[in-house]
Amino acid sequence: MPARPICWCFNMIEPNLNLLVPAYVREFEPYIPSKPDSELQRIYRCERLYRLNNNENPLGPPAGAQEAIRRFLPIQGGLYPSGDSYYLRQEIASRHGIDPDQVLVGNGANEVITFVIKAFCEPGDNIITADKTFAVYEWVAVFSGIEARVIPLREERFDDLAMLKAIDEATKVIFLCNPNNPTGTYWSRDTLKKFLDAVGGRQIVVVDEAYCEFVEADDYPDGMSLLADYPNLVVFRTFSKMYGIAGLRIGYLAGDRSVVDMIRRTCVVYSVNAIAQEAALACLRDETGHIRRTRELVREGKEFLCTEMGVMGLPVNAGEGNYLIVKLPGSDTLAYRKLMHEGIMIRPMTGFRYPNHIRVTLAKMDAMEAFVAALKKILA
Amino acid sequence: MVESIMNQDHDHDRIVSMQLTARMPFLPIVIQCVETAAGVFGLGREESLKLGLATEEIFSYLSERGCRGEIIDVRCMNGISYVRVELHFPLSELDMGSLNIASSVNCENEDNMAQMGLALASRSIDRLNIIAERKNRICLLIEKDKAYPTVPEAAVAPVEIRGALTVGTPDPEGVKLYVTRVAQGPPDPLRPSFFQYPGQVVDMVAAGDCQVLTVTDSRGECAGGLLFHYWKPTIVEVLGPHVFEQAREGEIEGMLLEDCIAKTARSKAIALLNLTGMSVSLQSQFEYLGFTKSYSHDGTVVEKPAFYRLLNEDPGCRIFTDMVLKDYLQREYDRLFLAREIQEIHDQGETKAGASIFSTDMLRERSLAILNPLWPGVDLDANVRRHIQFLRDEKINNIFFYIDLGVSWQASLIPILLDNNFRTAFVAPFAGQADLLVFQYDRTES
Repeated sequence: MPARPICWCFNMIEPNLNLLVPAYVREFEPYIPSKPDSELQRIYRCERLYRLNNNENPLGPPAGAQEAIRRFLPIQGGLYPSGDSYYLRQEIASRHGIDPDQVLVGNGANEVITFVIKAFCEPGDNIITADKTFAVYEWVAVFSGIEARVIPLREERFDDLAMLKAIDEATKVIFLCNPNNPTGTYWSRDTLKKFLDAVGGRQIVVVDEAYCEFVEADDYPDGMSLLADYPNLVVFRTFSKMYGIAGLRIGYLAGDRSVVDMIRRTCVVYSVNAIAQEAALACLRDETGHIRRTRELVREGKEFLCTEMGVMGLPVNAGEGNYLIVKLPGSDTLAYRKLMHEGIMIRPMTGFRYPNHIRVTLAKMDAMEAFVAALKKILA
Repeated sequence: MVESIMNQDHDHDRIVSMQLTARMPFLPIVIQCVETAAGVFGLGREESLKLGLATEEIFSYLSERGCRGEIIDVRCMNGISYVRVELHFPLSELDMGSLNIASSVNCENEDNMAQMGLALASRSIDRLNIIAERKNRICLLIEKDKAYPTVPEAAVAPVEIRGALTVGTPDPEGVKLYVTRVAQGPPDPLRPSFFQYPGQVVDMVAAGDCQVLTVTDSRGECAGGLLFHYWKPTIVEVLGPHVFEQAREGEIEGMLLEDCIAKTARSKAIALLNLTGMSVSLQSQFEYLGFTKSYSHDGTVVEKPAFYRLLNEDPGCRIFTDMVLKDYLQREYDRLFLAREIQEIHDQGETKAGASIFSTDMLRERSLAILNPLWPGVDLDANVRRHIQFLRDEKINNIFFYIDLGVSWQASLIPILLDNNFRTAFVAPFAGQADLLVFQYDRTES
């Protein structure tokens, strides 16, 4: 109930948010994350919930990382973590033959996106990315007062020529997602190198490789291997997807030392917690075949869904990564609600500018079978 | 105290503001300011005088009755296609009821029409509304549209579409051509009147009040178009798609809808809404909410279906209702697969005080009034009846009442509305703090 009028005045003066808050922040609509599973199950009245919306790894973290999490002592919770993820940076650097100062670790890849935009852009500048890709590049730019130029995909891929054409003097950063979330398409090593050559070091080129560990194609480029040749290249990696520690929030970027030195200035130290650093270190040192097992699981799920969707007459876009997208005959957001009532949580693609498509995480077969059964039911 | 400011800031060069005390001696200053500003902002002489007249009625009313002696902020805003006057002022509890547009209507004595300042004001302008602001302040706003030439009678040449089509945002000439083709197409009683005025739509686009998309062929011929604007802060109303090349109807409609979604998917919009008719081929991409009836002055009645499409996942929410509509709402939410916790409200004898306020959004050209509850009070039933009587006296044929199901006290209006011949039309998800329940006054039972 709104406050009733009163006949006396308070001395408290409310802040004038129209004056205090920049218009680009006021106009931005904050992303509303899903409620916790237990809440969703209650309001959607479903007994169990298969999470096929966030591209999580159903196998969880590798065994070594699980052990690292288990052995974390409560008393360690009272100590600050390494402020710059010292040992983790050493491990990452040694695996890629680069200097630890070329690595910057953040509270998930989302945080390193923010570091980069803060470091290079100010109002009046622009970033370039695709229209149908991971939304956070665009979001961070927009709520920072930076223009986001979103270039339509061409044949479901980043359009290299159109992106180059969109560059102007105010362009500071170009964000590529390779392989792209949600289409699963990727640029080959040859395409990426040609693009970097064309940019010619005038802009920062970010290659987000969040799903690189899932890619088995021979011509897929390892961005880290190109850092020496392209000082304007910044590569993002995450531990949330293949390594299954999304709940701990940890990712990193790597680039030329001078570029990373600039990005570090916008980085708030101590944002990465101690358990995440320990677990990430263990992920990299895993020798139990975690990546192989995950790839097998993804392959099996992909083949099963492609077959089943084909039988149902639904077009599928199944590229690289642990997900695929399915085109539905009607609204994807309605399908989301119907599937939620069946205990299946997928990602409707309208927010990715793919109306009538859903993205499905490739998971264990019980989840895949439950998804197919539910989809058949709601489309019947 | 009088203080007048012409803002120099470029972002504010469409606003003239003035602060003064609500006292009758200042009335000429207010009128002069409003009429002058309206003229500077491009309103014609006749329209400026009408806006000044409405302002005079309201300022007099407030000075003598609503907030005498209080500080009033008066703002004149150039809306490009219209001029708006806003009056911001504090209000004490004792005077709350006076802000209802129907406050002067006495249900027991229909002849008592004295001091009906707001009602009189509403007759000379195009829109009037009341907004509750923070800190017990009220914003009363009135708008007068600029006058525009209607669509030329000479028919534009038929469309000959060839080759590949592209969708995009047209320039002003493209907007005018699109609007002209719509207006010269088959008559449509549900079409808003601005489709008769191409120049007005160009100005609405320039002001950011709406956006237009068109599909063109390689020679720039317009094959179709769509207009969209914010119906509520997070709900986008889609008008169209309008197709001028029937042979490629599906392709053109699909391009326009997809581009509209692309432009709104990562905005503050939560959903698309269509209230003016949608082609059968697109209906499968929307959800049918229900319908309203559009009563014309000539007595014709047209059913207006409401179609809806969420752009996001449904996070679920809690809504409040009176028990009389609990089953209806549950059926609707089950039909739409929306996750809602329905909570009944009950009157348990708690004390209620003061007069309720309803805001009235009056659109006389469409014979339309939309009532929204702003403040609760002891007089809800009498206030509903006063408003119905007033609006009927004003020859308003289409009366709606919007209940925000996310605001608990508003649910107490539900049985009152049903008792006063309002009928549920549809639920618009997330159109308020939670969902908006749209009621329409049923003229056939009165």
